[in-house]
Amino acid sequence: MLGAAVLALAVLAALRRRVRTTAPGRRFFRHPTAGPGLFVLAFFVTIAIAAPVVAPYPPYYQIDIAHPNRPPSAQFLLGTDPFSRDVWSRLVYGARVSLGIGAVAMLVAATVGTAVGAVAGYFRRWVDTMLMRLVDVGLAMPRIFVLLMAAALWEHIALWVLVLLIGLTGWFGTSRLVRAEVLSLREREFVAAARALGAGAGRVIFRHVLPNAAAPIIVSGALGIGHMMLLEAGLSFLGLGVPSPTPSWGNMIADGWHKMAVAWWSSTFPGLAISLVVMALNAVGDALRDALDPRKEAA
Amino acid sequence: MTEPLLRVRDLKTYFVTEHGSGTARAVDGVSFDVQPGETLGIVGESGCGKTVTSLSILRLIPEPPGHIRPGSFIEFEGRNLLTLEPRELRAIRGNQIAMIFQEPMTSLNPVFTVGDQIAEAAIVHQRLSRRAARTRAIEMLRLVGIPDPEERVDHYPHQMSGGMRQRVMIGMALVCHPKLLIADEPTTALDVTIQAQILELLDRLQAELGMAVMLITHDLGVVAGSADRVVVMYAGQVVEQAPTAALFARPLHPYTEGLLASVPRLDAPPARERGRLHGIPGQVPAATAWPDGCRFHPRCPYAWDRCRAEAPPLLDAGGAGEPGTHTVRCWLLTDPRRRTPHP
Repeated sequence: MLGAAVLALAVLAALRRRVRTTAPGRRFFRHPTAGPGLFVLAFFVTIAIAAPVVAPYPPYYQIDIAHPNRPPSAQFLLGTDPFSRDVWSRLVYGARVSLGIGAVAMLVAATVGTAVGAVAGYFRRWVDTMLMRLVDVGLAMPRIFVLLMAAALWEHIALWVLVLLIGLTGWFGTSRLVRAEVLSLREREFVAAARALGAGAGRVIFRHVLPNAAAPIIVSGALGIGHMMLLEAGLSFLGLGVPSPTPSWGNMIADGWHKMAVAWWSSTFPGLAISLVVMALNAVGDALRDALDPRKEAA
Repeated sequence: MTEPLLRVRDLKTYFVTEHGSGTARAVDGVSFDVQPGETLGIVGESGCGKTVTSLSILRLIPEPPGHIRPGSFIEFEGRNLLTLEPRELRAIRGNQIAMIFQEPMTSLNPVFTVGDQIAEAAIVHQRLSRRAARTRAIEMLRLVGIPDPEERVDHYPHQMSGGMRQRVMIGMALVCHPKLLIADEPTTALDVTIQAQILELLDRLQAELGMAVMLITHDLGVVAGSADRVVVMYAGQVVEQAPTAALFARPLHPYTEGLLASVPRLDAPPARERGRLHGIPGQVPAATAWPDGCRFHPRCPYAWDRCRAEAPPLLDAGGAGEPGTHTVRCWLLTDPRRRTPHP
């Protein structure tokens, strides 16, 4: 754990040195919570990657089934859960699942959202109208119910299906943001110049429009991962997300919460991890927005 | 005369405006030719349809709200550009016909190096490899007179001055050696000394590469220095067309006359009007409501009844050369005695 923290600090310091030379980099670190947020993220990413090294026990290993709910001690850093599994080890492996689902789902959402927004904004007319009405419908639907329904229909939901579901219900906001950006960029003179050079629609969108819209996309992506993780945690807590023996922070809370009175540690630590990471993501997202987008518009 | 490179006939580009205030007839029946290798100046105030004409040639008019009316005809090397498929059109844009835009500050993409942007047309049209395209970009930078091209090729637009960016724009436009270059107010955004340099550069490149140039400007000084022939536009129409020397020596349309009179001169201090610069009274009317009859009559010092009632056609003004060399859209030609110095 200490090793991970040191490594995270080292990553932070290196990044700070690197990025300090540019104006956006300085703006980023001027943000009071950017440094701590980045540290928390670096820490959790490090333990997720190095899980086999960091975790003292395999995540499914039931150490002493006769004596579950051991309190935190030198042997069991964060105690054991009602199934007598080491909470720290599960937290470490759970970071892989929870962070991974958040990141991949956001990648799916950002890709679809960017594609839809770019097409709608660039081609306008009926394409725009149709896609944006679709987005209106998507934004109007309560997402958690859609996901619950889908999860209930599947019964045993595969992890990649869950990721896709979370991602595919989360792109509506991004697409609106990208569309707005594209609408203004498409009227810029360099876009006209590119068309006058004989560039086709694909080339104009990929080379001239989207790179100029990168900043808001990155920011909304960073802020979006947190939402995705919360959603996954919520679903897993309800037993409809990541199926149980696989550790995710959401189902770890679910496993421990009915023993909260006697063994607070098995739910509290994963809960704390979720809160910390989501807060860190929001802090970093905010700092990124200030750094990359001089207009500081809401994402 | 040889076969013209570009033949524009009866070009009508209209814009349907929102809020129901009618159709803006931005370009309304424009015809002219561009001969291979010549420089054609297109002159007029803001809002008289110069830019829309040039965008129409490359079919870059945003549709909607704009559209080119059926019956218009734009022929480039014997092919009607208005009936081409989008793919064929793209093969012409940037390759055979290139365009330079007005604002060098905003016409370059801020996130790519100038080298990448110059190379783009070569990659699109000639399928050059990245390395070959880079070499070509360096060549182009040298051609347009940018010092240290090997170093400059990796610079971003914000690292360059306005004049240098305009040179980069010219480099971008010329990378495929087009036969026709449309320069839409290439010097308007630059200060006067840089203006002169850019115009000289265009002249030199035109001679070296043997291309035709359509030089769009509101500055008669620019036209006088560079153009072989001049088309004067007013209110979406051609009002006078003549070889440059003839136009400056004998402006026949009252609008041309007014434009020439409003150019400040160093050699002849304006004795008239108590030393003040001459101006054409009024302004270009809105394109949704051109005046009836001659479109210039509300601002014309010579206008009489006929001008208010009847729109004049382009009339041959005679002079040197074959018929059609100097044409004017003005009833004065039928009644020259009315051209009197006005009170």
